Order: sequence, then structure tokens, then C-alpha cells
Amino acid sequence: MKENIWSRMLNLDRRWIFLFIGVVCIVPFFFPFGLPVLPTAHVISIFDYVENLGPENAIFVSFDFDPGTDPENMPMAVAVTRHAFSRHIPVFFTANAPLAQGMLESGLAYITNPALEGYFHVVSWQEWAQYRDQGITERDQLEAAWEADGNVLPANSSGWVFEGRDFAKLGYLPYFSLVILGMTSSIASQYPEDMNGNPLVEMPMLQEHKSLRDVDLAATFSGTAACTWWITYGREKIGLPVAFGVTAVSATDYTIFIQSGQLIGQMGGLRGAAEYEVLLQNAGYFDKPDRAFIGMDVQNAAHLLILFFIVLGNIAYFAGGFHKKGALLKGRR
Amino acid sequence: MKRTVPLMIVLVGGVLMIIQYFIPHRISQDIFDNYTIWVPIIGAFALALGVGSLTRLHGHKVRNKAPNWPYSLAVLLPIYLMPIFAFFVPVSFGGGMDEPGFYHFAFMHIQVPIQSTMFSILAFYIASAAFRAFRAKSVLATILLLTAVIVMMGQVPIGELLGSWFPKLGLWIIDFPNNAAKRAIGLGVGFGILATQLKIIFGVERNWLGGAGE
Repeated sequence: MKENIWSRMLNLDRRWIFLFIGVVCIVPFFFPFGLPVLPTAHVISIFDYVENLGPENAIFVSFDFDPGTDPENMPMAVAVTRHAFSRHIPVFFTANAPLAQGMLESGLAYITNPALEGYFHVVSWQEWAQYRDQGITERDQLEAAWEADGNVLPANSSGWVFEGRDFAKLGYLPYFSLVILGMTSSIASQYPEDMNGNPLVEMPMLQEHKSLRDVDLAATFSGTAACTWWITYGREKIGLPVAFGVTAVSATDYTIFIQSGQLIGQMGGLRGAAEYEVLLQNAGYFDKPDRAFIGMDVQNAAHLLILFFIVLGNIAYFAGGFHKKGALLKGRR
Repeated sequence: MKRTVPLMIVLVGGVLMIIQYFIPHRISQDIFDNYTIWVPIIGAFALALGVGSLTRLHGHKVRNKAPNWPYSLAVLLPIYLMPIFAFFVPVSFGGGMDEPGFYHFAFMHIQVPIQSTMFSILAFYIASAAFRAFRAKSVLATILLLTAVIVMMGQVPIGELLGSWFPKLGLWIIDFPNNAAKRAIGLGVGFGILATQLKIIFGVERNWLGGAGE
């Protein structure tokens, strides 16, 4: 078959495509477009649900992903955690795999990094022991007593978070689906200690929320179908409200659970995380969106490029008359 | 004996847990609580068994200089180095699980970038595959092509900029045609899982025994 411009276009060396994708993934970091991200109903429903919770409630934030899906899942988990911390909602942190525990630590390190604007200042379990001994465990009283003793919140911080009062790092346990099942009876039966070896039963937030039946939301962030464990063992057994944060490629797999009312909402991919960040900004919690919003520029550019290649391929296919010939040229690389 | 004992354990355990689920009584709850505590304990033994088996397999390859044996070494070294540094090496010598120890460094600066890189390569292959595969060769292929374009553009702000109907139509496709197909597939898979599990519990399906006792 004679080579012409259409056949050459159709058999474009894939390395050119790789090069273009590489370029459009890098350029937006230096020249951001900053296009507005409009929150969708699936994300707004999660935000509104968390917005209606307070210090008397408790949620689970489960880092159920590994480093492979970190760029998509991490901003979601960070956004929900920052929202909960801002509202003083106690958060139990879990992970469904050993690598996921590393992600949990990495996520918390980011949220509590003093070098970042709007970070949350951690007061460790040991640091506020004297207040527990005095019987001060109620959230507002604790903060007031802590600050009355001369502790000043740094200017770039969004607030204090007291370990054991505002959050507990439960971490990873093997056979995590059964751990969820076990926590429907008792959280302490599965996790006698937190990740740092602190006794969980002594923590005020556990004394107030002994099992998943006392918990108001489980938000799972996952790159695999493991997120459905929370529905199977949490939602279906005890009616635990569940929210998903999943990768973009798997987002369509779980919308059936929203329709059936088993999920209160879902964040799909980087877009979902960016929407949550925008909602946080609009509600006045933070001055600007976080990393997911920045990453949306890359997605914009990459999606446009892929669309361009699809159009290009079809133009070449029809203009070159390949739809009549029935066979494409060989020799692709 | 090698077949009968595991089959009996599965039969008794399986039936017990099915019955337990429907009996809201204290004894039933105690059985359930004990079960959920025992499973991770058994899992810990399975972990030791798995590491032992992996060590034997790859150790054999390294000893005999089998083809590609350096890869076996790449498997064995991290498996042992990570826990050794995390639990046995003093912090002053780079041990422990926190920064700046070797364990933390290897996880954050080797494992995380490697896995993230592997996943991000997907973007390059998807672009190439979309260029090659999304051709309007037939009516069905054209429907697939248009659906993909609408859903894809509905996911990014630039799609909203091109037309506010992009995200709305994209969401409609996900919420209705997609959900209908997913639900049908899900039901089929669900019934399949149920049937397979009952076959395992009642000993009809025995492939999981791996030929033991034959």
C-alpha cells in the first residue's frame, strides 16, 4: 500500500504521543490555567454531611490505597481530614494494607507540617497527660486549659489537634475486611493500642465511640475494590454511613451504590478531590485550594491532547479512505 | 485425613458463621467476636509461612545462579532489610521506623516513587491506546467513541468551558446506562460468588485444597 500523509498520520510513532503527553503534563505546573472547578452533587453530599457533624460525632478516615494511586487518593483523604479537624470532629485513621499505613503517616505528616500554611498543630497523647489527670477531656475545655498554660497557636496554623481527643491513628491490621466486621462490635477489641503504642481504651474519643455503631461516617480512600468492604461489613451490617474517594478509572464502578442509597457520596479521581478543596475554600475554612486543584490543570491539558489525538486518528482514517479498504497499514511502532 | 480435616473445618466454620449472622444472641455475638480476633492471629502465621516459602524459592535461585537470579536477590534483600532496620537496628545507626531512618527513607524515597511512576505510565499508554482504538469503524464503535469523549470532557473544567452540557451529559451516562450495565454484571457476579462459596463450604468445590492428600 502506498504511503501518504494520512497513512503516516495513522501510523504515527507512539513515541511522539508519549513526548506530547510528557510535555503537557509538565508545562501547566509552570504556566497554570487555574480554570474554575465546579463541585458536583456526589461530592457536595459528602461535604454537606461532614459539615453537619461536630465534636460530639466521630468519623473514620481510611487510607486504603498504596503509593500507586497516591496522587489521586491522597488529596481526597487530606481534604476530608482537614475538614474534620477544622470542625473538631474526632477522626479514627485506619489503613487496609501495610503500604496504606505508610500513606496514612505521609498524609498526616502533610496535614501537620508546620512549614505549610494552614497546618494543624498536633498535641501528642503524652503532652496533654496532665489535663487528663485533672479530668479535662471535653474538647473546648481542653483547648482553653492548654492555651491558658501559655501554649500559643502559631500564626500559620489552622488549629490544635489533640491526639486521643481529636484523632487516633489505628493503622493497619491484617485481614482488614474482618477488622471492619470486628469493629462493628468493638473498636478496642481490634485495636487495643494505636500505631504509637498508646492505650486506645483510655482515649476519650474511644470512650465516647466504642464501636462502629457509634461512628457517624466512614470515608474510605482507595484505588481498589477494597473500599466496598466498608459497604459489605459496615453499611449493610449496622447501617454505617459510608463515603468513597476512588480513582477516576474506577469511579463508574461505584455509582450504583449512590443510586441505591448505600453511599452518601463519592469523590472520583483528582477532580473529586479538587471539588472538595473548592468547597472547603468556599466555606471559608482555607484561603486557597490545595494540591488537587493545581493538578487539574495537568488533567485539562492531557484530556485535550487525548481528544486531539482521537480526532486526528479519525480524520486520517476517513480522509485516507481506510474505512473502505478494511485494513490498516502494518509496521506500527 | 489431609482432605477430611480441612473440609470439616470449612464446613463447621462456614455453617457456624452463616447461622451466627442471623441470631442476635450474646453467645452468637461471643462466637463472632472470638472469630474476628482469631483470624488476624492465624493470618500472622500465614505471613511467616509466606515469607518462609518466598525465601526458600528465591534462595534456591540465588544459590544455583538460576537465570535472572539477581532479581531474586532484589526480592530477598528488601524483605529482610526493611524489618531488620525497623525493629533491630538502633536509631543512631539509621534504624527505627521514623525519619531519618533507612526504613522511612526506603519507603518514602524508593517504594513510593517507584509505584507512583508505574501508575503514572498509564497516562501515556491510555493516550496511545485512545489514538489507535477510538476509530469510528462501525455504529457501535462510534457510540463508544462519543461516549468516551463526553465522559472524559465532562470530568475536566475545560469541558465545562466548552459546553455546560458536557458534565451534565457525562454524569447522566454514568448514572443511568453505566449503572444499569454495572448492576446487571454485579448481580451475576454476586450470585456466582454465593454459589461458589456454598460449594466450598459443603465440599463440592475442592480446588482450594491444592491437591493435598491425593
